[in-house]
Amino acid sequence: MKLTRRTLFAATLAAPAILTRRAMAAPFTPSADLVAAAKKEGKMVYYTASFTEVEQEVINAFNKRFPFVSISMVRASGGQLITRIKTEAAAGKLSADVIDHSDRGLMKGIEDLFQDYAPPNAKDYLESSIVSPKLWPRLTPAWSIAYNSELVKKPPQSWQDLCKPEYGNKQIGTVIAASGGTTWTRIMFERQVLGEDYWARQAATKPQLYPSGAPLADALVRGEAVIAPLIFNAIYPKKRDGAPVEIFFPPEGVPAVPYATGIPKTAANPNAARLFLDWALSEEGQAFTIKDQGNLTALKVPPFLPEGFDPKVAKVWVPKYEDFRDLHDKWIEEWNTVFGYRQ
Amino acid sequence: MESKATAGNSVRHGRLAAWAWSALLLAILAFLVIYPVMMLLLGTLTDSNPVTDGYAAMHLSLGNFFTVLTNPNVHEILGNSLLACAGGTVFAVLIGLFFAWIVVRTNTPWKGLIAATGMLPLFVPPLVAGVAWSILGSPKTGLINTFLAKAGIDWRINLYSMPGIIFVFGMYYAPYVYMFTASALRNMDPSLEEAAEISGAGPVRTLFTVTFPLILPAIISGMLLSFVVMLGIYGIPAVLGAPANISVLTTYIFALTSWAPPRYSTAAAVAMILMVVTGILVYLQQKVISGRSFTTVAGKAFRPRALNLGPWRFLTLGLAIVYLIIVVVLPTLALLVAAFRKFLFIRDIPSLFDAKQYSLLHFDRLFSNPATLTSIINTMKVGVITAMIGGVLAFAIGYTTVRSNAPGRRVIDMIATVPVAIPGLVIGVAYLWAWIGLPGGFYGTIWILALAFVARFLPDTVKALSTSLMQIHRELEEAAWICGRGTLSTIATIMLPLARPGVIAAMTLLFVLAIRELGSSLFLYSSSTMVMAVQLLGYYEGGNVSVTAAFSLVQMVILGVLIGITNRLSRGATGGVGRAG
Repeated sequence: MKLTRRTLFAATLAAPAILTRRAMAAPFTPSADLVAAAKKEGKMVYYTASFTEVEQEVINAFNKRFPFVSISMVRASGGQLITRIKTEAAAGKLSADVIDHSDRGLMKGIEDLFQDYAPPNAKDYLESSIVSPKLWPRLTPAWSIAYNSELVKKPPQSWQDLCKPEYGNKQIGTVIAASGGTTWTRIMFERQVLGEDYWARQAATKPQLYPSGAPLADALVRGEAVIAPLIFNAIYPKKRDGAPVEIFFPPEGVPAVPYATGIPKTAANPNAARLFLDWALSEEGQAFTIKDQGNLTALKVPPFLPEGFDPKVAKVWVPKYEDFRDLHDKWIEEWNTVFGYRQ
Repeated sequence: MESKATAGNSVRHGRLAAWAWSALLLAILAFLVIYPVMMLLLGTLTDSNPVTDGYAAMHLSLGNFFTVLTNPNVHEILGNSLLACAGGTVFAVLIGLFFAWIVVRTNTPWKGLIAATGMLPLFVPPLVAGVAWSILGSPKTGLINTFLAKAGIDWRINLYSMPGIIFVFGMYYAPYVYMFTASALRNMDPSLEEAAEISGAGPVRTLFTVTFPLILPAIISGMLLSFVVMLGIYGIPAVLGAPANISVLTTYIFALTSWAPPRYSTAAAVAMILMVVTGILVYLQQKVISGRSFTTVAGKAFRPRALNLGPWRFLTLGLAIVYLIIVVVLPTLALLVAAFRKFLFIRDIPSLFDAKQYSLLHFDRLFSNPATLTSIINTMKVGVITAMIGGVLAFAIGYTTVRSNAPGRRVIDMIATVPVAIPGLVIGVAYLWAWIGLPGGFYGTIWILALAFVARFLPDTVKALSTSLMQIHRELEEAAWICGRGTLSTIATIMLPLARPGVIAAMTLLFVLAIRELGSSLFLYSSSTMVMAVQLLGYYEGGNVSVTAAFSLVQMVILGVLIGITNRLSRGATGGVGRAG
């Protein structure tokens, strides 16, 4: 299947949210048969490109409801995970029951490895967030701007503010473009929405470059960098636990990155996998990732909105899939040149 | 006549056995080293993954390799790597040699304690060392700078720099130099030094003209080992270099494998450059050592002599204490602060001592994740298996290359040295490609990890063992042969007991290296064989320095206890690496 549709995720996600936001998420009620079958399997293996701690929280939340499925996790960065999956699959030794990845493009490329799967609430999902009928947006993280509230007295208000000389001299920390699908989404947004010269103007403030978002979030709390564009779920748990940080969704747009998650044909515990994904994709599961972890959702009607996310102000932005796939190498190289990052 | 025929037969049998022995070693090395390296070479020359895409789909070309070779960024990164490792090695030799001398050859008080604590940096995973020193020496938020500011001093330290990387490298890899030189100093016949002094040379002159030249193979081995180990370290340059935009080969290769899609062929090509550099170094080392006799252990009884430093012994003690504070106390304090403090934002010094900021939160988090405990157990298993198999194999190879005239021993030595040059991250992929297809349930077990570690650290172990084998005089073996012992019996009764400190040192080294090894584990672990190093990286990449620090402390305690046990076991051995640490 060739993807040609433009993913106008932005309008579709935000607009109905204003009108029909519910007070509470509908509880997840699986069929007794599925529960019995999952119970019989009793375990499953979960491959993810998300962060260890974030996913451990997800597993803990799932186990609160279904303690009889023990989940072991394999976490690797995007590129390393894909290599492992492809090689294991080729050797007939893929041990995953669920695979979860941030790069929809790469997952689309290995679509054949997955079995037919759709959650019971499949129709509630935005079509634009789905790249294959076998892969589902279990997680939809979004970009925000965060700052250390102890150290920044006059915080920035927008993406454009990050180019102001007053935030220069290594106050800003930013993640390198090549770090993965999420950052690639952000830098596309910067160039396509904020202006052709945005990179150059931002680079002129001499930001510190970080290899990925998680260490940057930590550096922000410590005060190594005091302002940083960050995936909301990387910094929100720290704020929730009391760290001196403030986070906001800038008015020019909020780049979002729907994941692709599915069950391989070779899954040894397909029922446990199904129960886990059904739960994670249910309104209850999505409400958890929004409320406790600060993600968005690709559900047409979000059960919650993350703290500080005002759909009247924040416009969600998702790249055109073709651009996402085709511009990658050229633009990353240009970004590296502009920011003086060696590659 | 008859006896001549029997002698002829036994010579023929002996030769046959020697051939069979060499063939066996070569077969093992082919499986452990050559096959994965071939996979790596294939990776350099093609863009496809040989397992998934099949060999037929490969487009072999040198283009990829030349693109990498002519990339100016690669030149700069290579330069950074060489500079960081050369600087670090010089620093490590200065520290390691000085400590070896203090501990083995002087009457400095509390030598035992100095020896034991001086080895502690070896147990610290590089990533943790990097994190600890970034907490201490960051130009903006470093604790040292907070104290300097409080004291009204304008000067600030900045470890996010090349000198910073060199400083931390030197401190953390000094124990390698120490390990080699201390056991050489201990096994050295002091009559040579006495002769120098009787001839009128002062202690300093003796040190530089007799002592150090005599233990040169140990110094060079320690230097070479620490240099190549530094070349392969990811954690320290990753934490300290990244904020200053300083890339080295390992961080570059890690980046190449992390990107989506990953660029293994480029990573493999960069690794080839690294292999060539290391190959040249190994060649130089052998050139320096060859043509000299380094026999220092002879069949005479002696006891290493301690130099009476008089009141100067308090100066050496003072220097040792300063070193221990910098290398052990400060980073451990930094880790303790990080592990117990809720957030690592430290406004000022009163806030550092505010008890309300501290809790067991991060330890709770650490152990609420079941993978933590699993990873500890798995790591112990892998460490033991690696040390056992690796120790036996390294002894077999070391003895064959240093002491026997078995056919093909030069080739065996060469092949066993190859893995030294390959960074773990890249060889990890090569092992995965090479071994995933093996029949049976090999992939996904801890055995595949152990084998990868044995192969990867073969050069380190063989080198450590060969040095101690080289020091044992042939006359001791000859004496056994004259007494009618066979080769195996001579090895068992003469070589093994005499080389025991070396063997135990090599196995301990292997155990520690295996426990910390990250690169080659990344691709070989499975959900049930998760190891500590991978779990630690997971916490670090997940942006939680505090949980990382908590896990590091746990790991340091476990390693400390295990090394303590090893020490006890090795007591009573001739040299006693136990005492060396």
